[in-house]
Amino acid sequence: MASAANTNLNAVRETMDVLLEISRLLNTGLDMESLSICVRLCEQGINPEALSAVIKELRKASESLKASENCTN
Amino acid sequence: MATLDQKSPNVLLQSLCCRITGKSEAEVAHQFQYAVRVIGSNYAPTIERDEFLVSEKIKKELLKQRREADAALFSELHRKLQTQSVLKHRWSVLYLLLSLSEDPRKPSSRVGNYGALFAQALPRDAHSTPFYCTRPQSLALGYSERGAALSASVGTSGISSLGVYTLNGPTPTPQSLLPPQSAAGGGQSLGSRLAWTLPVSCSPSTLSIDCLNVSETALVRDILYVFQGIDGKFIKMSGPDNCYKIDSKVVLCKSLRDTSSRLAELGWLHNKVRKYTDARSLDRAFGLVGQSFCASLHQELKEYYRLLSVLHSQLQVEDDQGMNVCTEGSLTLRRLLVWMYDPKVRLKTLAALVDFCQGRKGGELASAVHSYGKTGDPQMRALVHHILSLVSHPILNFLYRWIYDGELEDTYHEFFVASDPNVKTDRLWHDKYSLRKSMIPTFITMDQARKVLLIGKSINFLHQVCHDRTPPGKITAASKSADTPKDAAELLSDLEGAFQEKIDAAYFDTSKYLLDVLNRNYLLLEHLQAMRRYLLLGQGDFIRHLMDLLKPELARPATTLYQHNLTGILETAVRATNAQFDNAEILKRLDVRLLEVSPGDTGWDVFSLDYHVDGPIATVFTRECMGHYLRVFNFLWRAKRMEYTLTDIWKGQMCNAKLLKTMPELSGVLHQCHILASEMVHFIHQMQYYITFEVLECSWDELWNKVQQAQDLDHIIAAHDVFLDTIISRCLLDSNSRSLLNQLRAIFDQIIEFQSAQDSLYRSALEELTLRLQYEEKKRQRDEEGQWAVTEEQEAEEKRRIQEFQDTIPKMCSQLRILTHFYQSIVQQFLVLLMTSSDESLRFLSFRLDFNEHYRAREPRLRASLGANRGRRLSNI
Repeated sequence: MASAANTNLNAVRETMDVLLEISRLLNTGLDMESLSICVRLCEQGINPEALSAVIKELRKASESLKASENCTN
Repeated sequence: MATLDQKSPNVLLQSLCCRITGKSEAEVAHQFQYAVRVIGSNYAPTIERDEFLVSEKIKKELLKQRREADAALFSELHRKLQTQSVLKHRWSVLYLLLSLSEDPRKPSSRVGNYGALFAQALPRDAHSTPFYCTRPQSLALGYSERGAALSASVGTSGISSLGVYTLNGPTPTPQSLLPPQSAAGGGQSLGSRLAWTLPVSCSPSTLSIDCLNVSETALVRDILYVFQGIDGKFIKMSGPDNCYKIDSKVVLCKSLRDTSSRLAELGWLHNKVRKYTDARSLDRAFGLVGQSFCASLHQELKEYYRLLSVLHSQLQVEDDQGMNVCTEGSLTLRRLLVWMYDPKVRLKTLAALVDFCQGRKGGELASAVHSYGKTGDPQMRALVHHILSLVSHPILNFLYRWIYDGELEDTYHEFFVASDPNVKTDRLWHDKYSLRKSMIPTFITMDQARKVLLIGKSINFLHQVCHDRTPPGKITAASKSADTPKDAAELLSDLEGAFQEKIDAAYFDTSKYLLDVLNRNYLLLEHLQAMRRYLLLGQGDFIRHLMDLLKPELARPATTLYQHNLTGILETAVRATNAQFDNAEILKRLDVRLLEVSPGDTGWDVFSLDYHVDGPIATVFTRECMGHYLRVFNFLWRAKRMEYTLTDIWKGQMCNAKLLKTMPELSGVLHQCHILASEMVHFIHQMQYYITFEVLECSWDELWNKVQQAQDLDHIIAAHDVFLDTIISRCLLDSNSRSLLNQLRAIFDQIIEFQSAQDSLYRSALEELTLRLQYEEKKRQRDEEGQWAVTEEQEAEEKRRIQEFQDTIPKMCSQLRILTHFYQSIVQQFLVLLMTSSDESLRFLSFRLDFNEHYRAREPRLRASLGANRGRRLSNI
């Protein structure tokens, strides 16, 4: 069982590496942790369109907040 | 990350929010709420779950950014991903990454992007709320699925109407995300923002129709559906009016309404054409021409669909690019009007064609299409000509097969040559093939159609009747037949020249070959001449000899005649005269025929010659023709018999005149006989002259010339028919001259009676003469013996006998006189009828018959009619 778990682990790690590469190629700006969360969410059946919209929103929100903070600062 | 564990999505989502915004959990509460709402509302993805498509899209994106190496790298990675089976929803991950991807070339100022969002008609107002506009896809869909809790916090109870959208303004939650930037200027910008609020990926059915204001893009989308004949959201086909109508509940400004009506016409035209092709493709009996017509319509429709798909993809591109699209390339109704102008014209032509061609098939259909090509508009003409070339291609195929191979395979009766399967081979030439006039296309003239019919008929005739199996390739150099529609198009463009040449060449070659075969193998011309010689009494020595031999036979009653006897006599006659040098083939066919016997007939009434015809010759000498020939033979034979009889009479007269000089009491009778005989002889001579020279020889000459010059079998048949008709009418055998013929028959009968009367006269006279001579002889003998020459009793007896004889003379005299009188009256009547006949040559005959006006003197009617006619004729000159 341990070996099976090990191979599983390796496979998972490989997959994540590949996905990280792809994400880097596509310049998505996702780091490893966010990517893993997204992958988990997708695996659970979340609509990727909605998810991407959410992410974009959050990014914009954070950007604008930062901008406003900078302004006020 | 040991396993993709089963943390609940909410938790994951929260951690994601924290991660991205970089804030703690408490601060991202609003965002988290918002995220939950978005995800919850937009549960089902609207695009296709196709991994391949997504990967292709990614590659395209990379290539657009000129990163080919990266694209290759991505393919590698993707392949690797596919081999590993860890992920279950690869496509969603890929899609997510794609949608998050950013073009490194683009400026990353996201704030600036908001301004670009409203580039349409808005002032670049930093106060406008971006979030509202970027929310369409998440809010509009599936609003019914949202939980009550969420909706309560949202404030907009549903996107049942975009109007509510406008009224309520932006929802409070997004506003909370952007505290300083409030929607102060939101109110004014709503109208223009509405142009963008149309959800990109919604299908027409999910939005309700109670919208009060419809944007142009919505209309454009609708119109694109209408172009294909599918009812759109707002524009539907209204059955009773048979047009596309915009739903009355929709509020549209007038210009938009008009423009969309104009564009909707295309949908109507498309439906018409489509309906026709669909209906016709199910019709099995439509035939090849109809099918090619439908195929050409299909081709045109395919082009049209191609255009539509281009428009659709244009619309799709705009939607994909979402916010960043600029206005110059977008699809508006006016652009559509301009772009669809040409297709509209084409579709109009097609629809008109479809209307015109309803219910037609075969050559009719081709004629209909051809008539539509007579227009000044070059585009329409080109289109119609293209369709015409496709449509006429099967007809030309039929044509070429027919004229080069003689084969007709036309299950749907589309070709203009029809074949009657019930007709047998002996009537092949006349009855089997005919022209179907309705199926002759208008670009083929009647003359060409007739020639085509003749060519195929000749080939079939050669094959079936003449048993000539030369392959048609040898007859005519078959040019390349219309294998492709392009050939048909070329041919159609040069109908006068190339097509006519082809047909003419085939016609000449085939007909010449047919005539060669007929003359060489079947001796058609020889048979024609043989008919003339035997049935029309052309071979004089043979006929005379035959008559000589037959005279004793035919004098017997008809019932005692046997055919084989007569045939034997015929053979003898043939062998004894020049007829023996004739072709054996011809002599084989010569035969005796005995007509039906009525009571009281002698042999003369039932005898006839016959000529057997079969095979190809029977096409020219049909049964009717042979019937005509036999009637003419009958007439000529009778006339010949009269001539023969009169010759006998004259012979008798010459012989006996000297002998009977010693009986002066007979001289009166004999003189009368002589006169009557010469009258009759004159009459018969003139008749014979007329028949032989004026009727037979002239017509024969004409016939022979025509036959020598004939180019095809039809010409020969026609000339032959004309020949026979002329002869029959001139020989008084047709129905108009019945009275004349009766007169003539009566004259002939008189002649025969005269002959018998004269015979009996001579017989008795000669008997008397012999007795007297005997008496004289006896007297002389007794004288020589020294006895008294005659005793008184003998002398008395002799005197008595002579007296008896002389008593019979007046009886004979009166008999003759009656005969003469009767004869002359008949002849006069005959002359009167001749005078008034319509045929000129008959009138000339009457002149000749009465050259010294012998009859005119006696017959007052003749005098009047002759004079009147002469006067009339003179006045005509």
